[in-house]
Amino acid sequence: MLKRLLTASLALVGMFGLLGPAHAADPVKIGFSIPKTGLFAPAGPSQLNAYLVWQKMVNDKGGLDIGGKGRRKIEFVQYDDKSDPARAVKIYEKLITSDKVDLVMAPWGTPHHFAIAPVVERHKFPLIGNTAASVALRKVKPGYLWFTTPMMPDNLAKEMTAMLKSRSVKSVAIMYNLLPFASENIQFLMPALAKAGIKVLFEAKYPPDIKDMTGMLTKVKAKNPDAVLVYSYPGDSILYMNQAREVGINAKTQYVMVGPAIGFFRGMFKGNLDGIVTMAAWTPGMKNTTGSQEFYNAYKKMFKGHEPDYLDSVEVFVSSQILEQAIAKVGLDREKIRQAVNTMTFDTVYGKIKFDGVQNSITPAGFAQIQKGKIEVVWPKQRATSSVVDKGAWAK
Amino acid sequence: MDILLSPQLLAAALITGVLYALISLGLNLIYGTMRLLNVAHGDLVMIGAYVAFMAFSLFNVGPLISMFAAAIICGGLGWLAYRSVLQNLLANSEILARLEENSLLLFFGISVVVQNLVTLFFTADRQGYEYLSAIVEIADVRLTGARLAVLVVGSVISIVAVLYLRFSLFGLAMNALIQNRDASAVVGINVDRVQMYSLVIGFGITGLAGALISVLEPITPVMGFPYTMSAFVVIILGGLGNLWGGFLAGLLLGFLEIFGVAVTGPEWRSVLVYGIFIGILIFRPQGLLGHGRIAR
Amino acid sequence: MSNSFKFICIAAVIIIPGSLSGFASEYMLGIGFTLFMYIALAQSWIILSGMTGYISLGHVVFFGSGAYVFVLIWGLVPVWLGVALSGLVVGFGAIIIGYPVLRVRGPYFVILSFGLAELVKNLVLINEARMYVSLRPVFGAPPLAQLYIAMLVLAVGATVLTFWIRRSRFGAGLRSIREDEWAAETIGVPVARLKLMAFALSGVVPAMVGAIFIMRSGIFQPGDAFNPIVSFTIVTMVIIGGSDDAPGPLLGVAFLVILQELLWANWPEIYMIILGALLIGFVLFAPGGIFSWLSKNISRGNKNAA
Repeated sequence: MLKRLLTASLALVGMFGLLGPAHAADPVKIGFSIPKTGLFAPAGPSQLNAYLVWQKMVNDKGGLDIGGKGRRKIEFVQYDDKSDPARAVKIYEKLITSDKVDLVMAPWGTPHHFAIAPVVERHKFPLIGNTAASVALRKVKPGYLWFTTPMMPDNLAKEMTAMLKSRSVKSVAIMYNLLPFASENIQFLMPALAKAGIKVLFEAKYPPDIKDMTGMLTKVKAKNPDAVLVYSYPGDSILYMNQAREVGINAKTQYVMVGPAIGFFRGMFKGNLDGIVTMAAWTPGMKNTTGSQEFYNAYKKMFKGHEPDYLDSVEVFVSSQILEQAIAKVGLDREKIRQAVNTMTFDTVYGKIKFDGVQNSITPAGFAQIQKGKIEVVWPKQRATSSVVDKGAWAK
Repeated sequence: MDILLSPQLLAAALITGVLYALISLGLNLIYGTMRLLNVAHGDLVMIGAYVAFMAFSLFNVGPLISMFAAAIICGGLGWLAYRSVLQNLLANSEILARLEENSLLLFFGISVVVQNLVTLFFTADRQGYEYLSAIVEIADVRLTGARLAVLVVGSVISIVAVLYLRFSLFGLAMNALIQNRDASAVVGINVDRVQMYSLVIGFGITGLAGALISVLEPITPVMGFPYTMSAFVVIILGGLGNLWGGFLAGLLLGFLEIFGVAVTGPEWRSVLVYGIFIGILIFRPQGLLGHGRIAR
Repeated sequence: MSNSFKFICIAAVIIIPGSLSGFASEYMLGIGFTLFMYIALAQSWIILSGMTGYISLGHVVFFGSGAYVFVLIWGLVPVWLGVALSGLVVGFGAIIIGYPVLRVRGPYFVILSFGLAELVKNLVLINEARMYVSLRPVFGAPPLAQLYIAMLVLAVGATVLTFWIRRSRFGAGLRSIREDEWAAETIGVPVARLKLMAFALSGVVPAMVGAIFIMRSGIFQPGDAFNPIVSFTIVTMVIIGGSDDAPGPLLGVAFLVILQELLWANWPEIYMIILGALLIGFVLFAPGGIFSWLSKNISRGNKNAA
């Protein structure tokens, strides 16, 4: 309690300090919310770790370049949102009105972005989104919110269909989790497949708490499709990986949406992941990107050899790079940052990025494949580090 | 509908069923002997899973060995819980009057504390490890070694436990306690000791189950909750406090889930499970296998 | 302790922050919103569970259903009519499912109430998937100040309702169910009807709270709207506050919301651990909650003075 009072009074003194010109050595305060407890807590570290790596990389360079007028270090103000969007709203209100942060960064997940959209809009705080993907995001009023992700469900459906055609796939079996992102993908995938003349031999949806897939997979095997597409999250991806092997699903193309790009998952399956296609658009050795290898190395160093999540961590780092470059150009004036984000072209680990309205208009949706234990970007072709290969027999 | 005859499906149903039976056994034991509703039950699964994970990543010891460590650690927690809190709880007449409700709140508190302590230690990050991932083929059934191990070990342990609790001297004393608390004290059963052992055994078996489960799904601090729910469904199905009924109900739920889903479609899985659960509570609260006597 | 003292208790907790709404910062409004939300939820829980002893661990089912009804009719009817409709629809729904559900007693009801919330959540999930709706953002909700006032009205309404029921014949009937349902039935208390009325009443308020909450969070998702943590939080607040009457939950809610604001910022896990420990402590050492502990000590103080 005493400590709180002290902090509070210090903060008060600090506010008076702000009346004068900010001292060059003062850190830039950046706030965000993170799911540390609750439903999404297991997903939180992918995001938080990437923020921390970025902070360390920038601070090691001496801090953020403030519009060419010297450097200031980054200080984070972060709160647990308990995986609750309403709490995220409260946190951003607190960050802005009570903690007086200079800037805010994104919370985790699509619902939270929707939830805080009115807050950043009202207070005119620019926010570069990450870990959020839904076509509904395009309905967010353009202004102070942008979405970095290339993984919009309609684009994914388009690219998926194109990839399947390139592999002369004639028939597919589809299984998907009832959670929003997965079912939204299916909504766009079905018409795209129909248009391309690819037959859907089997379709099944399942609840998030599914504990066994044997029934579904037995039916899939009986249909013998050319490709099996599983729109799954880490828990159910594990089920698929184990039970598809048991049942003996031998399709040459097998897509497992979320999971294979995360480190723990690769530790669990090792060789058996070879040939599995997943949702990711990055790999450390990628050409025409900025800072990829540096990010990868810094991450592994900071987290004792653990790899970043090739999907979420990377996207989070991209959003950080965008913010960093906008500040380097125009300083900390939020209105100027907004204009900069709207107009500039950024160099990121995803390559060049420019926004059209609220969304990333350059990076295409893409897929990666695990090849000899490494994640290779295989689609679309202009970004590929390797080409899609047939999934071989399951390793023993 | 020939899918229903698939031996692969049968094996899947058995694995699911055996796990349900194993996990619900401890919950049933604790409810039966002490009328405690342990909503922290799934967290013991979680602790067991972390023990197995630690054993594997630190000492390269597989879950088939570390499951005994998990059982001992969780059993120890049971002893601790009994000596520190539950013993007093069961002696307090004011609390005893509404024991189910109070114990439920108490264990909810414990669950929150345990989950967050684990989060502090391990972070909320998912963990996992590779173990016995090769496929084993028996007749027409193909299973990963890990799932086969879960099936075999789970069956053996749950059957041994049920038999022990039915026929051993301790088991008889415990059953007497389940049937009639006051009378068993009169005939000279050491109620205090039976209660403590029930808790230790119940917690221990559940921790062991957690070690087995650690090879099947990602390990997180919040992984236990669905198991709490399934265990409650099972013991309601089998009749509260009825160990043998609970064992059969666990298997039954596994079969209902796997075959029910194969017939209706997987999206109905949870609706099916909870629908049956609610139906049973409303129309047959003594459980599917009960005899019209409500065990309370 | 006299009734008037209780009234002052209630009034103070409600009116002081209420009057702040005019000039308080957005952050304070946000805290006030949460405070009123849980007051309304806890009071409505008391009507069924506190008075009849049918402990519900699935109170979130009303909250989530209300939110769902509200997003379904969002944009079709005026906002506040939508809120009222959500309450009505869920109230009727409660009457329909209440009949079979309330036949189940004691610990069975506790477990049932929980399973019911999970069942409804999964039905909503399936329904959403059938309609190919994956996300339901709520664009253009009224500003926080209006939502705050709405929640304040609900909190006051729920508190008055509970206070009134507790002192009515209806409330006496409900408490006779808690003391001994069989006996109550034999002496002619219309047990089934009373329970059903309490069930429906205790559903209307959370449904409206859910509707308003969705405007605050800006998005509807079954997993959030039917989150079991909400049910558990309500129960914890009432237990910590204590008693089957209106003032208890006020104390419990205020205590937890304030504790949360103090700790959550920097130590989320520690906050949760303290929350759990408090719950354990209250169950073990003060089953009557803060309120009965306070009343005991105050009346003892009075005696000493006299």
